[in-house]
Amino acid sequence: MTEDIKTTPPASVSPAEKDDNALGRRGFFRWMTVGWIAFSVATGGFFTVIVRFLFPNVLFEPPQTFKAGFPNDYASNFVDTRYKKKFNVWMVRDEESIFALSTVCTHLGCTPNWLGTENKFKCPCHGSGFRMTGINFEGPAPRPLERYKISVATDGQILVDKTKSFKWEKGEWENAESFLKV
Amino acid sequence: MLQTFKDIIDILSAPTVSFTLLTIAFPFVFPPTDWFEKIHRKFGICRLWTKPGFYGGMIAITFFFVVGYFDPNFNITLTKADNFPIILMIYSMFIAIWWSMYQAYQNDDRLENGLKPMEYNDPDDKVLVWPDLVYIEFIALILFMVFLIVWSILVAAPLEEPANPAATPNPSKAPWYFLGLQEMLVYFDPWIAGIIFPIFIIIGMMAIPYMDINKKGDGYYSFKERRIGMFIFMYGWVVLWLFLIVIGTFFRGPNWNFFGPFEYWDAHKVVPLNNVNLSEYIWVKMLGTGMPTNILLREIIGFIVLIGYMGILPIILAKSWLKNYFQEIGPVRYTFLMLFGLSMLSLPIKMYMRWLFNLKYIIAIPEWFFNI
Amino acid sequence: MENKNKKSFLERMGESQVWKSIIRSGVPRSRRQRMQAILGSVFLHLHPARIPKHAVKIGYTWCMGGLSFFLFIVLTITGILLMFYYRPTVEYAYTDIIDMTEQVPLGIMRELHRWGAHAMVLTVWLHMLRVFMTGSYKPPREFNWGVGVLLMTLTLFLSFTGYLLPWDQLAIWAITVGTNMARAHPFIGHEGPGASLLAIGDINLVHAGSDVRFALLGGRFVGEASLLRFYVLHCIGVPFIVMILMAVHFWRIRKDGGISGPL
Repeated sequence: MTEDIKTTPPASVSPAEKDDNALGRRGFFRWMTVGWIAFSVATGGFFTVIVRFLFPNVLFEPPQTFKAGFPNDYASNFVDTRYKKKFNVWMVRDEESIFALSTVCTHLGCTPNWLGTENKFKCPCHGSGFRMTGINFEGPAPRPLERYKISVATDGQILVDKTKSFKWEKGEWENAESFLKV
Repeated sequence: MLQTFKDIIDILSAPTVSFTLLTIAFPFVFPPTDWFEKIHRKFGICRLWTKPGFYGGMIAITFFFVVGYFDPNFNITLTKADNFPIILMIYSMFIAIWWSMYQAYQNDDRLENGLKPMEYNDPDDKVLVWPDLVYIEFIALILFMVFLIVWSILVAAPLEEPANPAATPNPSKAPWYFLGLQEMLVYFDPWIAGIIFPIFIIIGMMAIPYMDINKKGDGYYSFKERRIGMFIFMYGWVVLWLFLIVIGTFFRGPNWNFFGPFEYWDAHKVVPLNNVNLSEYIWVKMLGTGMPTNILLREIIGFIVLIGYMGILPIILAKSWLKNYFQEIGPVRYTFLMLFGLSMLSLPIKMYMRWLFNLKYIIAIPEWFFNI
Repeated sequence: MENKNKKSFLERMGESQVWKSIIRSGVPRSRRQRMQAILGSVFLHLHPARIPKHAVKIGYTWCMGGLSFFLFIVLTITGILLMFYYRPTVEYAYTDIIDMTEQVPLGIMRELHRWGAHAMVLTVWLHMLRVFMTGSYKPPREFNWGVGVLLMTLTLFLSFTGYLLPWDQLAIWAITVGTNMARAHPFIGHEGPGASLLAIGDINLVHAGSDVRFALLGGRFVGEASLLRFYVLHCIGVPFIVMILMAVHFWRIRKDGGISGPL
């Protein structure tokens, strides 16, 4: 202790400052801790806000709902590719239902092609194949294509809502909104 | 005659065949142990790294491209402007590897005879950067710029039809330097091939100097002193990266089906690809019980295989085959070496399991997007 | 008087006030002047004044590191020039690219940029191969090898971001496939493992409108916002990081003892 006093400048050890207000060694570290925590929180918060900056609030993307004609327009076991270009949807009618199938391959998001002769959707990127129902059966796709919410609008036309999708692997194709009974 | 040659090449270049041949041939070309080295010398494979070997290699590559140029089918892929860099890559990589191996073998001989490597000069006998180096650099960049300008004048930069989000071109290829990754995507789920593997490649490469504690061969071309490290790196670089790029460029056609280089790209070629998960093999085909409803129980075999491969296999190796090596490099280096090494090895393993058993995933939990 | 007349033009130029103010050592003719010419120039003093003999052999270095740097400069210059004619919007991008070959004088600027980019990927790879083959990554150069690996990755990323800009079929689908990998990122991609664990009750925190791919593209799919983002990353964002890392890379070559060589 005496050694310390000798080496430190006299001003800082004058007896007047040795009262309760003096910032002792312990107090100094306490304030350092508080200071560093405050600094980390502020910096962390600042960078969080910067990350949030990357996520836009408003999107300029095409509408997510569209009308797809009358249910009677669809022949059975038929894949309608008319809505593929504009809305990224295939309208499929099998034996007992109509459903709206997403054209986004579940592997890496390419758009598969409907090969009518082979009765399957085939993705050109990595060769995934899907049956007419959307079930994957070949290639690297890990799961079936997604289906979109489908209903009948007041004018009798089919209304497809792309904001809600149904995944087979979660058992959501049982959901009444995922298909139209015919 | 030429047609037979083309047919043979078409058969040989199928990934199943060419990848197997390359993998088997590789240790004989870059021998990692004495035994391989003996055969390497005995059958004269070592002559690949001599001047006749260089001419032979260059003539073989050129012959392949010339035949390809006059073939109506191969001509289409070969003369695509964007494929020119891959032709450049094949030539430049062959020249580069040959050149370094050529010098390495000379140095190996010198070191065996107790001489210093040929790069060695008296440390006090230095040259001045001005003019000796700056002029070389100047000439190199002028020649290179001339090459680039000629290339730019002769070959127009390709531009396809305007972007159309609804119509995917068939086939749809990633930029050529990522075709190795795209080829991996055929065998692995995106989160493995697209995220985990690229991260492992980057970190694994950065970790090379820390895992390779062999002090020899620093600052000069050499092979024998560091042959195991060389072998592993060259296998990863040449077979698992460059060769996959060549496959992706020249041998992958519509629907990402495989086509031989001289084969017509038939968009309706039907290739049966009914892939089966390991769990289905176990529960449905072997035990005949049907899939358990509990996800973890369903995939339990896959988890055992994975833990066995990544966790238990390294421990067994450390106690048996790699015992001395483990003691030499210590547990931390060993763990990382095994992590990166086994991940790298898992690519060919998964490829073969796909080709032989149509195995899709070892662990298949699409519910959680967790497929391996 | 006679001596003065004998002096060549070059010597007299080297003694002029203008020359001396720029290059202090005069015309580099003597050994000392030549060393000073390197040491006194901000650009040339990337090099040491003297180097071992094997370092000037093409057989050893292949000149690939230098050419990669040179190509980076070529690509920067041609890229800046291209920016005068290119608008990164879905409406104009494609037609601006066509105009670059058809309407702009010296219509090979895009070719120089595109082929230069391909060539740079190759030179960087060859440089890496050379460094590996000579064992130059070994101590004391471990750290610089790591910086080099990052630079190589960024070279590929630079090329990848440039791929989208022509806004043709090749561009949009290569980027769609590439960015969809981000969708599968564990935890922060909405189709990656673990993403479904990050949920409060029924509300998923990580979905198509809030994952890492969304941040990269600025939307749910490759569109207007993505084009702008990739443009900015390509022109400013990535080159900025590359330049910092290049400075570290070059500086460390010197600090780690110059070019590798046998002891």
